[in-house]
Amino acid sequence: MSTIDPGMEALMEAFIYESTTLLEQLDEIMLESEKEKNISEDSINEIFRIMHTIKGSAAMMGFTGISSLAHSVEDMFFLIREDPTRLHAVSEVIFDLVFQASDFFKQEIESIQGDGFEDTVPTELIAKMKEQAAIMKGEAPAVEASSSAEAPTEAPTAAVNNSGHKQIHVIFDDGCQMENLRAFSLLNQIKDYCSLLYSDPENPELNPASSDEIAKNGFTIFCEPAENTTIDDILKVIENSLNIKSYGLLEDEEPAAPAAPPPAEAPKAAAAPAPAKPAPAAAASASSSAAKPSAKQSLLSVNQSKLDHLMDLVGELVTAESMVASNPDLRGLKLDNFTKSFRELRKLTDELQDVVMSIRMVPLNGTFQKMNRIVRDMSKKLGKPVELVTVGGETEVDKTINDAIADPFMHMIRNSMDHAIESPEERRAKGKPEQGTITMSARNVGGEIIVDIIDDGCGLNPAKLLEKARNNGLLTKPESEYTEKEIFHLIMLPGFSTNEAVTEYSGRGVGMDVVRKNVEKVGGTISIDSKKDVGTTFTIKIPLTLAIMDGMEIRVGNSTMTVPITSIKQSFKLYDNSQVLYNSDGSEMMMIRGECYPIIRLHSYFGIDSEVTDLTEGIVLQVESGNNIACIFADELIGEQQVVVKPFPHFLSKYNLKERGLSGCTILGNGSISLILDVRSILNNER
Amino acid sequence: MGEQIKTTPEENQSAQSNQMDDLDSRYLTFLIGDAVYGIALTNVLEIINIQSITQVPNIPPHIKGIINLRGKVIPVLDARLKMYKEERPYDDKTCIIVITIHDMHIGLIVDSVSEVITSDRNHLATPPKTGMDDAQFLASIIEQDNKVILNINIEKFFQNDLFGL
Repeated sequence: MSTIDPGMEALMEAFIYESTTLLEQLDEIMLESEKEKNISEDSINEIFRIMHTIKGSAAMMGFTGISSLAHSVEDMFFLIREDPTRLHAVSEVIFDLVFQASDFFKQEIESIQGDGFEDTVPTELIAKMKEQAAIMKGEAPAVEASSSAEAPTEAPTAAVNNSGHKQIHVIFDDGCQMENLRAFSLLNQIKDYCSLLYSDPENPELNPASSDEIAKNGFTIFCEPAENTTIDDILKVIENSLNIKSYGLLEDEEPAAPAAPPPAEAPKAAAAPAPAKPAPAAAASASSSAAKPSAKQSLLSVNQSKLDHLMDLVGELVTAESMVASNPDLRGLKLDNFTKSFRELRKLTDELQDVVMSIRMVPLNGTFQKMNRIVRDMSKKLGKPVELVTVGGETEVDKTINDAIADPFMHMIRNSMDHAIESPEERRAKGKPEQGTITMSARNVGGEIIVDIIDDGCGLNPAKLLEKARNNGLLTKPESEYTEKEIFHLIMLPGFSTNEAVTEYSGRGVGMDVVRKNVEKVGGTISIDSKKDVGTTFTIKIPLTLAIMDGMEIRVGNSTMTVPITSIKQSFKLYDNSQVLYNSDGSEMMMIRGECYPIIRLHSYFGIDSEVTDLTEGIVLQVESGNNIACIFADELIGEQQVVVKPFPHFLSKYNLKERGLSGCTILGNGSISLILDVRSILNNER
Repeated sequence: MGEQIKTTPEENQSAQSNQMDDLDSRYLTFLIGDAVYGIALTNVLEIINIQSITQVPNIPPHIKGIINLRGKVIPVLDARLKMYKEERPYDDKTCIIVITIHDMHIGLIVDSVSEVITSDRNHLATPPKTGMDDAQFLASIIEQDNKVILNINIEKFFQNDLFGL
């Protein structure tokens, strides 16, 4: 990170954000185009624009590798834009090259975010692109002359002998820094007004050393106003640009001379006063917006930590509100007006909370899009044609959850591609269509999102799984006792990997157990269903949000605890002990409608002193997590409440409270703290 | 217990830039039994009265649990238990000193808080090297007005708790 000035951090953040968004757009366009086997004119323009932006901002940040590669892609698409028929000569290769470039960008951006970033220039990739560009040009050499002037790599030789040719000399403010980039952005601003444009020094954005030259001698722009514009329009734009000390129009320059820098004239130009009447800024901006009509998005990107803070504040507000409502000073008073106003307040805070929650929600589309890319790459590499069908991408989840599940999804898709989907020959033999299909569908059910990942591959083989589990010593009971579902779930145990051969994509020994861990980290569950030669379905249930949930408050000894409502099946009071059964080891069980469930006494599970130890005195809650169901025993039911989940202080994180059955805590209306139970770990620990 | 010390982060920062030395040589002293201990004022966020502590299962006994400090959940430790001294019931003199270390807030339960003292470096003596636990986390010893104040090195004091974070 030595190349990055700490003062640029904000810029850096913006750069990373912007580039990532643009690259996602790029991938989307390319995938779409590849499907149609053609790139529409709009798409070409869009790609060109994306590359141009990335090039500019990367150069500004000093990432030569990114900017020079973007420059090559831009060049390539510049040629295509001029004559779309050229595309046919190279289409296949172009897609691959652009994807490779996009991967390189992503890699670089990732390493910028981490430590130890090194600015590498992907010379090989650039060379390949140049080659393709050459092929395209070779097919249509006639156009080259006209393109050369605008294509930034070409030297400005042709088309100079033009009477409309103007030369503008610009001097930047002393010590404004990054003169080369300022010059570049200036060129960008005026390029819409010019039919011909080049500069001295050339391509300032690619050569940081030109900064000094520009600072010393000024920057010379050679241009020719486009139709319907005059040189005055261009001067207006320059006039309105930042950090410009002075500029002047050098009239009637010898047409042959422009390529040579005019250093002698620099001082003169610097001394020359700025041309008269300063144009009204409105006019310039109006004309520039007219020149480039673009749909304005009413989107705003916000730093996530600010949203987290807002979320926290709203949480506190909700807590403070209940503190007011249940204030002991008000007890026993009849306050009609107060109650009325309070109801109003509560309505507003509820609404506020909903809005804040919705701000943090993002559609799953983005994540699905990434999967598309993986399927594309892998199906090429593995020679298995596979189509990814996505359904319900508009379903929204909390940003934190969205980020957390992207990796597990990717892993599962890779697994399906690698292990489940058969080769085309095999599929034909089985009477299936050659092209495999993976379906990802998301839907909102209650307070949860359910995502199905369905492949039409070979399915899981229970016998094989059992054997594998036996060999790895993962079986905990006699083989005959395993149900099919339990066998399928074996693949999610740590140390279980179904494929012996480690491939590039999956089977590195970290497999489904990591997927499961990641999903469970955000409070989700996975279940598996499979049929031989028909396919496998993974069903992932994830909560909508982590920050606020509905909880049931219970009391155990002196502690208040919160059980997530979503995991409670029912709660009831026992009137006699006849339903309770005792295992040989003394553990208790309970019969409910013909099924037997273990009883977990929370006070003994957590080692809390409690006076309520008789099952008939307390309350029993039947809870479930995934496929596990059990009954937990608490002293008393306090009531249902919406709670703001707070993690335990970092200080306590080494005690693995989550594994022991506590996922966090929440502050109740009276200011006291309630511990939130992690039903999944409690049930797992008890088994 | 009339003395309330509170330094907001901003104050902390300006203090750090302007009068680092000044704050550095000031210590908050508190009592554990008869012994007077001191901690550097730069580590102290505020002092609050003892309040109801929510017990958390499965954590070491010297961590008493968590409290709600104006919407922030912070862990509290009993200084007595941390120093392997006998536990005693909390009374109205018992205080929680909220300490900030590595961007974390930790409450330290002490018998009572006494005062803030200023001491220049000349009065500081290095503690003797003994094998005893108690001496391990001592930063220095101050002798002032016939009192001996044992200064705690917060970093070392919480070393075991912070290890592995």
